[in-house]
Amino acid sequence: MGILIDRNSRIVIQGITGREASMVTRHMLAYGTPVVAGVTPGKKGEQVFGVPVYDTLKQACRAHELNTALIYVPPAFVLDAVLETLANGIKLMVIITENIPQHDAVKLLMEADNAGARVIGPNTVGVINPKERARLGAIGGDNVERCFVPGCVGVISRSGGMTAETSYMVKRAGLGVSTAIGIGGDSLIGSTPRDLLALFENDGETRAVVTFSEPGTSFEEDTAEFIMKGGFTKPLISYIAGKFTESMPEGTMFGHAGAIIEGGKGKPSNKARALREAGAHVVEQYDDIVSTLQSLRLG
Amino acid sequence: MGRLLESSSKQLLAQNAIPVPRSFVAASPLEAREKAGLLGGEVVLKALVPVGKRGKAGAIKFAGNPAMAGELAAQVLGTVVRHYPVEKILVEEKLAIERELFVSFTIDKKLRRHAVLVSSAGGIDVEEISAKYPERMKIIHIDPYKGLADFRAKEVWADLGLEGTVLRQASDILLKLYRFFVKYDCTTLEINPLAITKDNKVIAAASVMAVDDSAMFRHPELADAVQVGSDRAWRPLTDLEKQVVEVNEADPYRGTARYTEMDGGDIGFMCGGGGASLMMFDALLSYGGKPANYTEFGGNPSEKKVYGLVIGILSKPGVRGLVVCGNITNNTQVDVCSRGIVAAIKDKGIDPRKFPVLVRYAGVNDAVGREVFTAAGIEYYGEEITMTMAAKKMVEKMRQTYPGAEDSQAAHGA
Repeated sequence: MGILIDRNSRIVIQGITGREASMVTRHMLAYGTPVVAGVTPGKKGEQVFGVPVYDTLKQACRAHELNTALIYVPPAFVLDAVLETLANGIKLMVIITENIPQHDAVKLLMEADNAGARVIGPNTVGVINPKERARLGAIGGDNVERCFVPGCVGVISRSGGMTAETSYMVKRAGLGVSTAIGIGGDSLIGSTPRDLLALFENDGETRAVVTFSEPGTSFEEDTAEFIMKGGFTKPLISYIAGKFTESMPEGTMFGHAGAIIEGGKGKPSNKARALREAGAHVVEQYDDIVSTLQSLRLG
Repeated sequence: MGRLLESSSKQLLAQNAIPVPRSFVAASPLEAREKAGLLGGEVVLKALVPVGKRGKAGAIKFAGNPAMAGELAAQVLGTVVRHYPVEKILVEEKLAIERELFVSFTIDKKLRRHAVLVSSAGGIDVEEISAKYPERMKIIHIDPYKGLADFRAKEVWADLGLEGTVLRQASDILLKLYRFFVKYDCTTLEINPLAITKDNKVIAAASVMAVDDSAMFRHPELADAVQVGSDRAWRPLTDLEKQVVEVNEADPYRGTARYTEMDGGDIGFMCGGGGASLMMFDALLSYGGKPANYTEFGGNPSEKKVYGLVIGILSKPGVRGLVVCGNITNNTQVDVCSRGIVAAIKDKGIDPRKFPVLVRYAGVNDAVGREVFTAAGIEYYGEEITMTMAAKKMVEKMRQTYPGAEDSQAAHGA
């Protein structure tokens, strides 16, 4: 169990022959993740650590049954890669690429919505399901168990690095992770925390969720509304970083592209208030994630 | 996003057949006077700085004749408007305005559509319009594949009470502005006011434009006009910030380094990861620490880049401690970073026994990193302590080293 990916996923990597993508392919295979095919135009017939490469996704789909795409192509080509993924009927894609033009992001997210497909990212570190030994992206690096051990806690993080650190806090609490997701640091992303909480709600493995939030967007306000309506009923522990940005001049960006307070929207204090009112455990210090998890007696 | 000066955005608008007032750029009072003469005497002077709400900041002036234009230019040139020095001004013909409209294109992040906000109450800012005249404001969301239909442009202006030739001109301009917004990958395109003159001409009297930094690869023609990264700061870059930008750009293919100077502070702040840096900055403040800068690095930077970054951090006057911190890395090599950091500390002549340095940095190759830091006499922690604990230890270390320095405490406390 867990969400999004498991040992039965059939994964294709778009842009597999790139430097970072091929390193990640090696890490994914070493972990036991089913990487079935890769696509790089003009490189048909090559192999990346034994994974066959095709010129087009259509060719890859003729040769293999595929249901999950990991997109590693350069920013200028991401929109087209997403259109190709949708045209070939794949309904789950994780977009790793950073610095995608916003006008392209609007188009690709809209097309994915219209096709009923799920997008994680862009600008994400990836997704991992430790029990199923399935991972998409650089998440976990070359030493997965250091931060990600199997367990009953879902992790959702705006930041890639803090997806690992937060999963490590779960481990410090004596627990483990059902699925951890870096949702991406851009202002335009596919799956929001609310979307993923809906999946965690229905996952038998997951008994609580920890979220790491940043300034900007209305994700936390949307999450609070979702909880109030009964969409998510398990314990939610939330840490919101970047409180200091509220005392900086508005419009200043720290950290990620999406971490920006604009027109009075996206303030950490408003997010914390909304989540508290919805009954979430909003922790002041990041370390309080550990004690709060322990107090829930999930283990 | 990168902002453009109004002179640049107006030039682009004109190139795309969107009517704008006649104007010239002037760098001196004498030049302003000459240009005002060429424009027929009555002019508007606007400070060319990449910030909004210039009217409220006193950076827009009206001159009745060329001599007055020269005098007012002398008052504005050389001043500082919202932290930006005024080096040039826009000298523009003064329109005989009958009515003012408002148009603003953005990307609606929540609905993930292009959006245009249109109002018949122009000349004031959008907050004021929505507070005072909500009935005179319309929003259209646009499917980027279908675009803005001609009839929708006419409908919105007709609903807001426009008629006749003015309705036709305003609709045509709205369509052209949408195509412009898409063509140049704008994140913001605001025309306020879109003026209706006494002789029934519709003209884009003032423009604010920002282009998506991430889309600059397909707009080489805008390279000189767009101030890339100008959204990151609320003021022009300081000398130290410029120095770090150079360090970052010297090796554009490996790693990123971003450095922002804070007002005051005594702790040099070097943090790996966008989210981690937000978290760690809050943690330091919560224990009463005062970071002197905000620095975030990642993406597996080279030793040289890390070195340059730390040199920048330690060069700020008043810095008398250094905290290096990061989340457990997925791919950034701790050993490579450790060498750059230690070399910078040595070259700045810093003795870590007297000058507090604390490192909490775990991840790829951290066994080697631990050796490098420890050999240099630097207090090093891996994942045995949390980032929060590292923040607390750092602030305590500052207090022990500089007892009685109460100014290093609590001004920003949580």
